[in-house]
Amino acid sequence: MIRPAGEPVDTQVTDVRDLADEDLMQIAQKGDPRAFEVLYDRHSGAAFSLAYRMTGARNAAEDVVQDAFLAIWRTGARYDRARGSVRTWVLGIVHNRAIDALRRASTHSRRRAGEDLAEQIEAPQRTEVEVARRDEARTVRTALEALPAEQVKVIELAYFGGFTQTEIADMLETPVGTVKGRMRLGLQKMRVSLEGAVAA
Amino acid sequence: MSIHESTAAYLLNALDEDERARFETHLAGCEECRREVAELRVASDVLPMTVEQIGPPAHLKDRIMATVEAEAELLAAAGAGADRSEPAARDRRRYDRLRSLRIAGAFACGLALAIGVGVLATDGGEARLVAAQTAPAGARVFLEVGEDSSTLLAENLPEPPAGRVYQVWISRGEGSPEPTDALFTPLDGKVTVGVNESMEGVEALLVTDEPRQGSHTPTTRPIIAIRPI
Repeated sequence: MIRPAGEPVDTQVTDVRDLADEDLMQIAQKGDPRAFEVLYDRHSGAAFSLAYRMTGARNAAEDVVQDAFLAIWRTGARYDRARGSVRTWVLGIVHNRAIDALRRASTHSRRRAGEDLAEQIEAPQRTEVEVARRDEARTVRTALEALPAEQVKVIELAYFGGFTQTEIADMLETPVGTVKGRMRLGLQKMRVSLEGAVAA
Repeated sequence: MSIHESTAAYLLNALDEDERARFETHLAGCEECRREVAELRVASDVLPMTVEQIGPPAHLKDRIMATVEAEAELLAAAGAGADRSEPAARDRRRYDRLRSLRIAGAFACGLALAIGVGVLATDGGEARLVAAQTAPAGARVFLEVGEDSSTLLAENLPEPPAGRVYQVWISRGEGSPEPTDALFTPLDGKVTVGVNESMEGVEALLVTDEPRQGSHTPTTRPIIAIRPI
């Protein structure tokens, strides 16, 4: 059972695994590797999955996850509760690092959304938390797939492919303004479908 | 085309560096865009949920935790934040630039250097080359340890965060790490910087990123840790 965030924590007595992400972040910030390890255990799956989807290669995905988590360990002070959940913050960092890695590599090696990835090993469903996450994932996927194809395309090329709006405009032979507009409409529609349905 | 239309592109990370900088400046002064970004973030934040979930390999955790634990140990040994008294003024020995340039030249030519403790002959004495125990992934970092001063050598070192520099610290095992006057940023990832301190009695040489003018005690965790042995 995870204790709610914000309760005073006696680290001698408490098992770190019972703490909420926000409290763990604070303790890890002070240089506690055990607290950091629990955060890694909780979020490395989602992190690696995102990195692998974007880079399409195990080694590159591992590097991205390592960079991201070591950056978090070293500058943990920069997490701010006002900016959303720890998970969202962690995945944001992973996403940025993956985009950097993609843009550093040559254009040819960047993956396009929808390509088949060889050898995927599904993470086993273990706990209640993970079952709940799977349901949420299904909800989000449905919301994304309900969008008009042209909006899904630009969102996937940008978010997962790491392409800039200018590159996408070139690839699709469409004006940049149109690309921007499709991104906005797509995210707006998704937001409406998700209203209240998904936890942060 | 107005900049207000870049909200979604911004959230999806579809802006290049210049466009993003321009948009962030714009965002600071535009209430409407801030509101829209906050609304659309609800959607962009959950996109990672749509990917197939794959378990990361165990060796990845081992690698990361090995670095984390080594750094935690070093920081605990250095007792960061414990004793904050100013270090006594030290003799500034004249730094032998010529010797360090010769070493850096050999280094930059990509000569194979033994990892671990190596002995290099230079005229006037011997310098030991020690590999860093902790360094950013992909970077090569060494300390050339001389009698009265040492040189930090690195390749492929990432830039510090914007507006900050790297600072070298000396830890003697007790109390806070002591600042040195070595402040630097890499040039194309390369570093050659003199540390005007003897390594006698030094347990660890640490590097952190700090504000431009340097700090009296470290404000971030070390990215480089070297035991001069």
